[in-house]
Amino acid sequence: MSTDRSSQTGVVSSWWSTLDRDWKSVVIGAMIVGLVSVLDLQIPW
Amino acid sequence: MRIRRLLPGLAALCLGAVLARSLASSVGVNHLLVAIALGAIVANVADVPDDLEPGIATHKLWLSAGIVLMGASISVGTVLEVGGRVFLVVIAVASVTLVVVELLARNVFGLAERLGSLLAAGASICGVSAVVAVAGTVRAREAQVAYAAATVLLFDAITIAVYPIVGDLLDLSSTVFGVWAGVSMFSTGPVVAVGFAHSEVAGQWATMTKLSRNALIGVVVLAYASYYARTGDGDTPSVRTLWAEFPKFVVGFLALAALSSLGLFSAAQQTSIEHAYNWLFLLAFVGLGTEIQLGDLRQTGLVPAFVVLLSLLVASTLSLLLLLVLF
Repeated sequence: MSTDRSSQTGVVSSWWSTLDRDWKSVVIGAMIVGLVSVLDLQIPW
Repeated sequence: MRIRRLLPGLAALCLGAVLARSLASSVGVNHLLVAIALGAIVANVADVPDDLEPGIATHKLWLSAGIVLMGASISVGTVLEVGGRVFLVVIAVASVTLVVVELLARNVFGLAERLGSLLAAGASICGVSAVVAVAGTVRAREAQVAYAAATVLLFDAITIAVYPIVGDLLDLSSTVFGVWAGVSMFSTGPVVAVGFAHSEVAGQWATMTKLSRNALIGVVVLAYASYYARTGDGDTPSVRTLWAEFPKFVVGFLALAALSSLGLFSAAQQTSIEHAYNWLFLLAFVGLGTEIQLGDLRQTGLVPAFVVLLSLLVASTLSLLLLLVLF
C-alpha cells in the first residue's frame, strides 16, 4: 500500500519535473480554480 | 526531496507577502510596491541566505500563475472592443524600439553587434527573458548577456519608481496608464506591479498589453536567428522556434478568460480567484525585489545604459501620445 503511494508520488514528481515553468503555472492556476469552483473554497484577502 | 529545498524560501516569500500586505495598509502605499521594496531591502542590506535561494527563485512561477488566474477577471467584451487598437500600438512601439536600439547601438555608439541585438530584444519585447532567448540563437558571449540583462534590470528598477509618479502627475486614465506601462516598460513583473499600483483596471490592461508584447518574442528570435544564420554566426532558424519561445501560460490565461465569459464562475468565486492572484502577485514581487541588487546595477556600462535610456524615452513618449489620441 505504502509502496503504491510512494510510486504514485514518484510518477507525479517526475511528471512535474518534466513540465516547463509556463505549464506549471497553468497547472497551479487550474488547481486553484478547481478548489474555488468545485470545493467552493473561499480565499480571504 | 526537492520540495524540502524549496520550503525555507517559500516560507520567506509567504512571510514577506503577509508583511507587505500589513505594512501597505498602514503606510498607504500599494501592497505590490511594498513587496518589491521589502525584497530589495532584504537582498541589499543582508544577503539572502543560500538555504532560501531555491524557494525564492520560484517567484516567476507565482507571477505566471497569478496572470493565468487573472484571466477570470477579464471582460472579453472590452478586450474585443479595444484590443485591436492596443495590439497595433504594441506592434508599432515594439518595432520602433527595436529599430531605435539597433541603430543607436551600431551606428551611433559603436557597440558590438550582438550586444546591440540583446539590448534591442530586451527593450522592445520582454526584458531579461528576451535577452536570454535571443542570446541562445545569436550565440552571444556570456559577458554580453550579463551586461544586457543588468541594463534591463536597471531600467526595471527605475521605471517601477518613475511610472506611477508620471501617471499621477498626468492624471492618466486607468486604460491609458495600463496600456502605456504594458507597451513601454521592459519586464513583465514590474509592468504588472505598477499597473495594479495605479488601479485594478490599469493592472489588467498593463498585463494584457504586456502578454501580447511577450507573444512577439518568437517572431523576434526567429528574425534574429535568420539574420545571424545568414552571416554564418548563429543557429539555423525554424518555425518551431515560434512555439518554443511562446509564453505558454498565456494559453491558461485565455482559457480562463473564455470560461469566465461563459458565466461559469459566481461573483463569490470570482472574488476568491481575485484574492488568489493578488496573493500570488505578492509572493512573486517579494522575490522580484530580491533580484534588484544595487551592486549588480552599478556594473552596467554607461554606453549601453544610455542607448536603452534614449530608446525608452522615445518609446514611452511616442506610445503615450499615441494612446492619448486613440483613447
